[in-house]
Amino acid sequence: SSSYGGPSRNAILVSHRQKGNPLLKHIRNVRWAFADIVCDYLLGQGTCALYLSLRYHLLHPDYLYYRIRELQKNFKLRVVLCHVDVEDVVKPLLEVTKTSLLHDCTLLCAWSLEECGRYLETIKVYENKPADIIQGQMDTDYLSRLSHALTTVRHVNKTDVVTLGSTFGSLSHVMDASMEDLARCPGIGERKVKRLYDTFHEPFKRVV
Amino acid sequence: MLQFHEQIITDLLEEDSNGGLVIISSGLSLASLISSLLLLHSPSQGTLLLLSPSPTLKSHILHLLHQSDPSSPTPAEITADLPAPSRHSLYCSGEAVFITPRILIVDLLMSRVPTSNVAGIIIPHAHSLTETSTEAFIVRVLKSVNKNAYVRAFSDKPHSMISGFAKAERIMKSLFIKKLHLWPRFQVFVSQELEKDPSVVVDIRVPLTKHMAGIQKAIIEVMDACLKEMRKTNKVDVEDLTLENGLFKSFDEIVRRQLDPIWHTLGKKTKQLVSDLKTLRKLLDYLVRYDAVSFLKYLDTLRVSESFRSVWIFAESSYKIFELAKKRAYRFVRSNGANVNSNSKRTTKKRRKPDGEENHFESAAVGSSSTNSSSIVLEEVLEEAPKWKVLFEILLETNEERKKASLSVEEHLLVGTELDDGIVLVACKDERSCMQLEDCITKSSQKVMREEWEKYLLSKVELREAQARNKKKPKDPKGFGILDGVVPVTSAQSAEVSGISKQEHEALLAAASEIRKMAKNENTEDNAEDIAVTEGNAKGRKLRTRKGRQNNKNNHNRTGTSKKNDYASEHVSIENDQTNGADHGTADRICQRVLQENDQMNDDTQSKVNKALPPLHFYALESDQPVLDIMQPSVIIVYHPDMTFVRQIEVYKASNPSKKLKVYFLFYEESTEVQKFEASIRRENGAFESLIRQKSLMMIPVDQDGRCVGLNPSLEPQPSSLQNSITRKAGGRKDVDKQMQIIVDMREFMSSLPNVLHQKGMRIIPVTLEVGDYILSPLICVERKSIQDLFSSFTSGRLYHQVETMVRYYRIPVLLIEFSQDKSFSFQSSSDIGDDVTPTNIISKLSLLVLHFPRLRIIWSRSLHATAEIFFSLKANQDEPDETKAMRIGVPSEDGFVENDVRAENYNTSAVEFLRRLPGVTDSNYRAIMDGCNSLAELALLPVDRLAELMGGQKAARTLRDFLDAKYPTLL
Repeated sequence: SSSYGGPSRNAILVSHRQKGNPLLKHIRNVRWAFADIVCDYLLGQGTCALYLSLRYHLLHPDYLYYRIRELQKNFKLRVVLCHVDVEDVVKPLLEVTKTSLLHDCTLLCAWSLEECGRYLETIKVYENKPADIIQGQMDTDYLSRLSHALTTVRHVNKTDVVTLGSTFGSLSHVMDASMEDLARCPGIGERKVKRLYDTFHEPFKRVV
Repeated sequence: MLQFHEQIITDLLEEDSNGGLVIISSGLSLASLISSLLLLHSPSQGTLLLLSPSPTLKSHILHLLHQSDPSSPTPAEITADLPAPSRHSLYCSGEAVFITPRILIVDLLMSRVPTSNVAGIIIPHAHSLTETSTEAFIVRVLKSVNKNAYVRAFSDKPHSMISGFAKAERIMKSLFIKKLHLWPRFQVFVSQELEKDPSVVVDIRVPLTKHMAGIQKAIIEVMDACLKEMRKTNKVDVEDLTLENGLFKSFDEIVRRQLDPIWHTLGKKTKQLVSDLKTLRKLLDYLVRYDAVSFLKYLDTLRVSESFRSVWIFAESSYKIFELAKKRAYRFVRSNGANVNSNSKRTTKKRRKPDGEENHFESAAVGSSSTNSSSIVLEEVLEEAPKWKVLFEILLETNEERKKASLSVEEHLLVGTELDDGIVLVACKDERSCMQLEDCITKSSQKVMREEWEKYLLSKVELREAQARNKKKPKDPKGFGILDGVVPVTSAQSAEVSGISKQEHEALLAAASEIRKMAKNENTEDNAEDIAVTEGNAKGRKLRTRKGRQNNKNNHNRTGTSKKNDYASEHVSIENDQTNGADHGTADRICQRVLQENDQMNDDTQSKVNKALPPLHFYALESDQPVLDIMQPSVIIVYHPDMTFVRQIEVYKASNPSKKLKVYFLFYEESTEVQKFEASIRRENGAFESLIRQKSLMMIPVDQDGRCVGLNPSLEPQPSSLQNSITRKAGGRKDVDKQMQIIVDMREFMSSLPNVLHQKGMRIIPVTLEVGDYILSPLICVERKSIQDLFSSFTSGRLYHQVETMVRYYRIPVLLIEFSQDKSFSFQSSSDIGDDVTPTNIISKLSLLVLHFPRLRIIWSRSLHATAEIFFSLKANQDEPDETKAMRIGVPSEDGFVENDVRAENYNTSAVEFLRRLPGVTDSNYRAIMDGCNSLAELALLPVDRLAELMGGQKAARTLRDFLDAKYPTLL
């Protein structure tokens, strides 16, 4: 692992408390370095993370609360990275959830050390990334857009999209098709015909 | 009504006045049971609520009600469209009413139902219930207030009553039902009555054609291979994974039930196997249902939509499926064996197709006397479904018999002998087959095949044209890839997979454009001559379809063989056509002969035959209408055998004992169709046997009055705190520790969480929320996502916007990620995490969400019940939420009236969602579009200018219009 001297801005800073945590082995896409910090992992300017294993929590139920209190109000995003390493999760997870929620922490659950490591890496890597990949800008080619729209109708699958497209030639023709024409398409059964037809022909707002 | 129906009703009414669960064999007419219960109902008992049956069951019930008493009014129906006061008067009316569960539960929770007036509830689809479903919620709330209300539940799907552990028992407990009534087809009363006077049954086994049998064999081979692969994964119980089970839809369920708990840990391959098996099962079904061309077309679409992912498509036998399917429709004949291209092609063919078919091809090609330089021409085969002919023969036979019968009646002047001239009913699986069969009878089967074939080819060629026209236009890099009309990847892929060489491809296109041309100048007879004249042009042309028209001609010359089969060139006598010689394959000759015959027959014979046919009606089993009662057929031809329909015929015959009835069954011999039919009967019997066993072991707890105490009585809170009505009254008994309340969005009543929350003693306030799903306190707003929702709403961007608005309006916005109890509690197996940070991974998406909304809190819940507990503890020292405030949040002020609570119901939600996914439509303009036009169908016809008005801009309108009108890319 890297030494302390590197440029700390592009690296995850790790608290000395975490020394010996096998999780560190799994931070491989980002450099990291030990540092004197309050939190367990410093992931960016206003972003920090606390690591909590559920098994540890069962032994020390108050630990998380004290750690959170230590953080004070210095961070914009405070992540509690919870490693789910017990079988019976419901009760301990409830406690962790409640503590983090009521003390302004965002809880992230991971089921393996790899996953824990990946969360830390990702948050660091994406520090300044715009949100467009989760804003619904998907593929812009015709077929993807077409199936994106048509698959809103329940039970219509990608194969049906191809069938509809090649049978009617264009989306406006699909939308204007009669029930009979829809029924003639191979693979489109009674229920799908009705769902499609209703979607296209029932008014947007039903009159009350 | 039959005697055993009466018996069922008497048992149900007498054994326990508090209700019961009746399970009958499918097809034994659930509708007549329910309708007679409705008839027995009298207003003095109180209102009878009938939880909305499926539309078809409902129409059956209404039909029967009308039949037995035409003067009585049809039962009213309570839906969201009905305003609250009229709902109330219906609740009080004492009549039987249909009602949707969602409305009923909301009205119950809002104390809008005068519960003491309710006589009972009828639930017509008990098999689809679970302990946490809305129906169970309804019954629990109702029973807590009105102990005497009865609950009568029905099911005619015994096999879905045995899925999972003690399902029947659990359903009964959750519905507070004590008695289980089982009425299988093999029950003594039932079988005695149905077999007393059976109808004449003719069982006809039609052999599959060689190619069909080949395809079936290949599909089964591939299925078997998939199943073997599946067993290798060691993730599923091998016992259930038989090929026989593989034929049923419920197979998916078996597999899913086993795999669901570990679904997230499964590799891509296993998941693909599961979906492949589903596809293959469909193919088997379509093989016997669709004609050769439609089947081929379906395969084509499959190839386009699945080729990247599927395992099976690359299996060796799959190649056979495609190859044989093609052979049923057309084949290629080489006119010049010395061609270099064809040489190279031969080698590729040999590699892929080790059987002897190749030689057959060769001989046909060599024999051709054409000296053209062109290499491959297309010949139509257009194999007809063997059942078609048989169907036609049956019809003729029926007609003959009737003629004879009427003659003999006349001769002997027998009075009172009923003349058998009833309707002949042909029952097929789907509407599509009905229409096609009808066409086959009224036109001719060849013509039907021809039309299908033309449509098939046309759908392939049309886009080629568009491509040629737009060739000169520069490619728009940001466009949808529609202007050039081709999806490069898929077309390349499909060509590769199918093994269609470029030449075959060209030949197909040529035939297609030919047909299109023919269609254009339908009646120009000199067309054929023209073509003959321009023969010389063909030489030296490259085999590339660049410019549509020229090439059309070109191909006409070369494809002498295909010309003769083309229907528009019927006038060209086949014998006179020199090029075609006599040395074609036998199949082709037969095909020719049939065509010739048909041409002559078309006008005279066909029409004669038509006149001679008995009155016919085609019926789609899928539509599930009370057709037997309405049509009163005297001959039934079961074109696609189906167990339920067979039972319906039996019931029909038993209730019309005087009627003569002849039933024909058409099976494909040695096909999976037979297997499936027989297996479905075995399966139902097995289900009943298991239910009978379960019934003998069942333990239903009852209270001292002998009433069922329902599910987990220990969990049940005190009835006093359970009733919303009492807490609403300020003078409640010990309301010092006030009941906690949660505001729940109406749409959430599709899920089971409100039920579970209520079970835990929470007061549920249903309203329509614009922001969030659950409001726990004035500060806490929760958006709930099941795992599947989470993934899909990340991709659609919906989650981002939902969180955005929550953050805007609430101090503590919460995303609840709810796992399912019976699925694994993790996102992915560690092997799926990969080595790098990839944007598609769920970890990346969540991290990004968290980074952009640092105030967002996340709840990870193991199950529904865990969620309820978490809600409880979060609410512990928070204020109660305010419903009127919560409702107003996030609602745009211009349409600020949030009058009624059922707003969600008033929208055609799938249409709205569809609209919002169209390009050019944004969050800001979709409301305006909805105001400006009535439906999507209307939208599809709006001109750009009008769209621009609605969408507030030319650019957006153009984008939308272009998308709507864009030509769909060709399959080739």
